[in-house]
Amino acid sequence: MDLTFTTEETEFRLQIRQWVAANLPHEISRKVRHALHLTREDMQRWARILGAQGWLGWSWPREFGGPGWNAVQRHLFEEECALAGAPRVVPFGPVMVAPVIMSFGTPEQQRRFLPGIASGDVWWSQGYSEPGSGSDLASLQCKAERRGDYYIVNGQKTWTTLAQHGDWIFCLVRTSNEGKPQTGISFLLIDMKSPGVSVRPIEMLDGSREINEVWFDNVEVPADQLIGQENKGWTYAKHLLSHERTNIADVNRAKRELERLKRIAKAEGLWDDRRFRDQIALLEVDIVALEMMVLRVLSGEKSGKQSLDVAGLLKIRGSEIQQRYAELMMLAAGPFALPWIKEAMDAGWQGEHVGAAHCAPLSATYFNLRKTTIYGGSNEVQRNIVAQTVLGS
Amino acid sequence: MDFEFTEDQVALRDAVQRWVEKGFSFERRRALAKAGGKTRPVHTELAELGLTGLMVPPTQGGMGFGAVEAMVVMEELGRGLVNAPFAAAALVAPTLLAPAGPDMQSQWLPRVADGSALVVPATQEAGSRYRLDVCTTVATQGAGGWVLSGRKCLVPAGDEADAFLVPARVGPHAVAPIGLFLVERDRCTVRAYPTQDGARAADITLAASLGQSVAPDAAATLELGHDVGIAAACAEGLGLMERLVAITVEYMNTRKQFGATLASFQALRHRMADVKMQLELARSMSYFATLKLGEPPARRRHALSLAKVQLGQSMRFVGQQCIQLHGGIGVTDECAASHYFKRLTMLEFAHGDTLHHLGQVSERMQDSAGVFA
Repeated sequence: MDLTFTTEETEFRLQIRQWVAANLPHEISRKVRHALHLTREDMQRWARILGAQGWLGWSWPREFGGPGWNAVQRHLFEEECALAGAPRVVPFGPVMVAPVIMSFGTPEQQRRFLPGIASGDVWWSQGYSEPGSGSDLASLQCKAERRGDYYIVNGQKTWTTLAQHGDWIFCLVRTSNEGKPQTGISFLLIDMKSPGVSVRPIEMLDGSREINEVWFDNVEVPADQLIGQENKGWTYAKHLLSHERTNIADVNRAKRELERLKRIAKAEGLWDDRRFRDQIALLEVDIVALEMMVLRVLSGEKSGKQSLDVAGLLKIRGSEIQQRYAELMMLAAGPFALPWIKEAMDAGWQGEHVGAAHCAPLSATYFNLRKTTIYGGSNEVQRNIVAQTVLGS
Repeated sequence: MDFEFTEDQVALRDAVQRWVEKGFSFERRRALAKAGGKTRPVHTELAELGLTGLMVPPTQGGMGFGAVEAMVVMEELGRGLVNAPFAAAALVAPTLLAPAGPDMQSQWLPRVADGSALVVPATQEAGSRYRLDVCTTVATQGAGGWVLSGRKCLVPAGDEADAFLVPARVGPHAVAPIGLFLVERDRCTVRAYPTQDGARAADITLAASLGQSVAPDAAATLELGHDVGIAAACAEGLGLMERLVAITVEYMNTRKQFGATLASFQALRHRMADVKMQLELARSMSYFATLKLGEPPARRRHALSLAKVQLGQSMRFVGQQCIQLHGGIGVTDECAASHYFKRLTMLEFAHGDTLHHLGQVSERMQDSAGVFA
């Protein structure tokens, strides 16, 4: 048992740190550090910088052009990026669909889709949830019918994050109504410029437009864009979920945001208020404990000897912590959390702030992050899964 | 960075487990508690296994093992709900005796290692409330050696111990350095009483009691001993929780109401998921506590306080919820779960309760770069 990183790991961390310092545009990290609005261009610019270095697919094996890092190296890379104020990489391409294409796609599909994901040039979205299928995802109804060399897709997806920017979307679609709901689902890649695809942004409670409805009206999808076998899509989607183990906890970002919370508390004169400060201390305990849980998983993955089935716990705890730091930041702002000047949440706004500038985005972030305990399998669904594991029944 | 145990550590765990299975049933624990909580024979059995020499250097008859081995043993003693002052006598006491001169070490450590001497720390006073720097006991050097006057409370196994490790101010001033002294039991007045977990503690009164000096200025040693105690409490708490959760899972899968097992009700399933969360957070922070014991003092103390806050929260939640999930049987003395709950509650107070350590974290909290692993 040992908590320290090896010399090689520490060296690796330093190399990443130096590279990020030299390549992360200052105007982007500044926005991230102050929770100001990030544009599509900001996000894609950083993705392309990583792509040019071969690191946008940082969890990819070498055979597909990735760096071939182990679990600990991947963690160190994510941590250095987060601590430096890099935007969170939009995960749908490099983190979510790419591993599915690598595992279940044909060599032709791999040659066709992976380079655009690796370079950051092609923006992917995820088409899972539907208006009638939230937590009960397997009940989804968006239909794909085979006609010759095409699937004809009809139906609707919703909560589709950043689909307004999407070039391609990977969808779970119903190809059969036989048997259990899970057995009639297929995994389809769809060009969002296809005729019949339409996107309507949904305004969230914080005023942001990061989620969308996506409609498919007789969309023709070439059959060679089916991943694997027809009606096996649920299996592939579950494989994807098993890939998302530790970074679902987002502990690196939580560490960065804890620092921000402390800065805000100091600026608002709350650092010497024992009642408030104890709340920060409790959050610090929670974050260290979450990090230790993540490190246990990583250590098990690196050695290949232990398998820790705690993905559900990481999701629950990580999301609760995100909500808690947002809540405490808003509480730190006090009455200055009340103004809702949307331009003040953009970088470079020259207007007059109400209260300190750092107060402007705090309530919007608080409202926005209520999503974290709902998305990715609501925390209640996660508890069902955890209970199943613990009780064995 | 790795969280795996060596083969030797696994063998050590197995050895303690085997002893618990053979020699320490729940019935035995219950009988010991009912009889007033004296546990010296249990300590002797642990000594026969060689465990009391775990932390004592080989040159003094011990095994000279490290913090991880101590953690492994504490987890298993917790799982088995073993009542014995093991952490105090076999982990904290050797830590506190480390600065003693060679003669004193040779006089006491071999006997600590073989269990023939039960030496326990006596650090708490009525007004100290977990703080190590609050100390009114005074030591003065007379013609015949050091004499101590004052009162210590909540000394584990106080009426079964052979000697106490007593912090005392060296000199009459309130700010005089705190030294550490060894005082044999027959030099003190001892008032013993049972504790909530079926064990025993004592108040000891020192009235010009003759003592041996371990160290003239022992502040740093006392802090280290305190932190060794925290790590031990965390590990024992983890073992207790693991077993309590297993007992509760078994109960939920057999007990039926409304024609179905308790495990089939979603309200109870979600409660169990929350219990599992607290258990895994506790395991993570128990490892953290043990693995941070070798850090420089300031970082070590901060880390151990972080761990104790997490363990305090987890122990209370897991204890309370497992009793609740048992229903009526959970609040009876015949149910093992209630004994686990009481021991967990006891550990919440050991070496500082949750609010105390939250206060420590809060006070020491700076920009937290570096506090993380």
